[in-house]
Amino acid sequence: MGSSPAPPPYGVGLAALLPPKEEKKAEKKVDYLNLPCPVPFEEIQREALMSLKPELFEGLRFDFTKGLNQKFSLSHSVFMGSMEVPSQSTDTIKVPTSHYEFGANFLDPRLMLVGRVLTDGRLNARVKCDLTDNLTLKINAQLTNEPHFSQGMFNFDYKGKDYRSQFQIGNNAFYGANYIQSITPNLSMGSEIFWLGHQRKSGIGFAARYNTDKMVATGQVASTGIVALSYVQKVSEKVSLAADFMYNHMTRDVTSSFGYDYILRQCRLRGKIDSNGVVAAYLEERLNMGVNFVLSAELDHPKKNYKFGFGLTVGE
Amino acid sequence: MASKASLKGKGKVAKSGRGGSAAAPDERTAVKCVKVWSTWAMKKAKVAAQYGFIPLIIVVGMNSDPKPSLYQLLSPI
Repeated sequence: MGSSPAPPPYGVGLAALLPPKEEKKAEKKVDYLNLPCPVPFEEIQREALMSLKPELFEGLRFDFTKGLNQKFSLSHSVFMGSMEVPSQSTDTIKVPTSHYEFGANFLDPRLMLVGRVLTDGRLNARVKCDLTDNLTLKINAQLTNEPHFSQGMFNFDYKGKDYRSQFQIGNNAFYGANYIQSITPNLSMGSEIFWLGHQRKSGIGFAARYNTDKMVATGQVASTGIVALSYVQKVSEKVSLAADFMYNHMTRDVTSSFGYDYILRQCRLRGKIDSNGVVAAYLEERLNMGVNFVLSAELDHPKKNYKFGFGLTVGE
Repeated sequence: MASKASLKGKGKVAKSGRGGSAAAPDERTAVKCVKVWSTWAMKKAKVAAQYGFIPLIIVVGMNSDPKPSLYQLLSPI
């Protein structure tokens, strides 16, 4: 019989099972003049979108990114598979396509230039330029060879101490503006208006976001008849769960989805299930430094549309 | 269709508002001129952007520090 072990630091019996007493967090008085800057209005649902809407694809995808120096890199991307064409009937029309995409990225703290050009001449361009410390210009454009199919949008963002505002000008005489303000350290509310010149349509929307360290809840209402709510709970460092609800008053469409997001050391797995009967999963597995293997699956049981894709991403 | 109807409406309002003003036709052709030239400029700008954006990024990138070499740009490694 050896000597008895030292008693556990928190006492014996049941006391050993209880967690140690946490220090009471000192109640911080809220300083309403010193609130944090809110997230940009278009990113108000970003946690939910990251978890519930991965880029699902069908077919083979191969991406190669070559960095020439810290700021400048070139990318080559090959895709062979089917793309869905929107159709009026309930059947989905899949068109087999393949394309090669060449891209160049220049990333500077003050200037970001990203361009991607496809074999059929389509150009995707993104420019982000910090004109001053608080004012940012963003340009987003898709230029095609077919006339009247190109799209472009200019955004001017102004970041204040605890608010952000944005003004947008787009093609087809689109003008929009939005504003978001921090109300408390956890709650921010914003609104947006837009005006579509060619169709003489205008709309107004309101959004609110409540976030703590462990959860994010957002709600958005728009005069176009859309109500969107989302909730993301960070269960642990590696696991998040998300839920999303969307109601479209014009088409009387209701969709709700639940998903999970596991961020592990070697992989990232996202899965979701929808109220339309769609089950989807997206896996990114890190095989080696800089080499990622990607698997994507989307099963649409009511429409019997099954999409499976795989790919490899090489480079940062 | 809706846009044509609204343009007709605009024309009527303009005519009834101006009454017998002699400068009305000149103003309308001036506005038309500006529209035609701005459409021409946007078309040229779109073609210039489509051909020149990627070369612009490459030129800006090749001139950044540390300067990469032409071999690094063209080789597949």
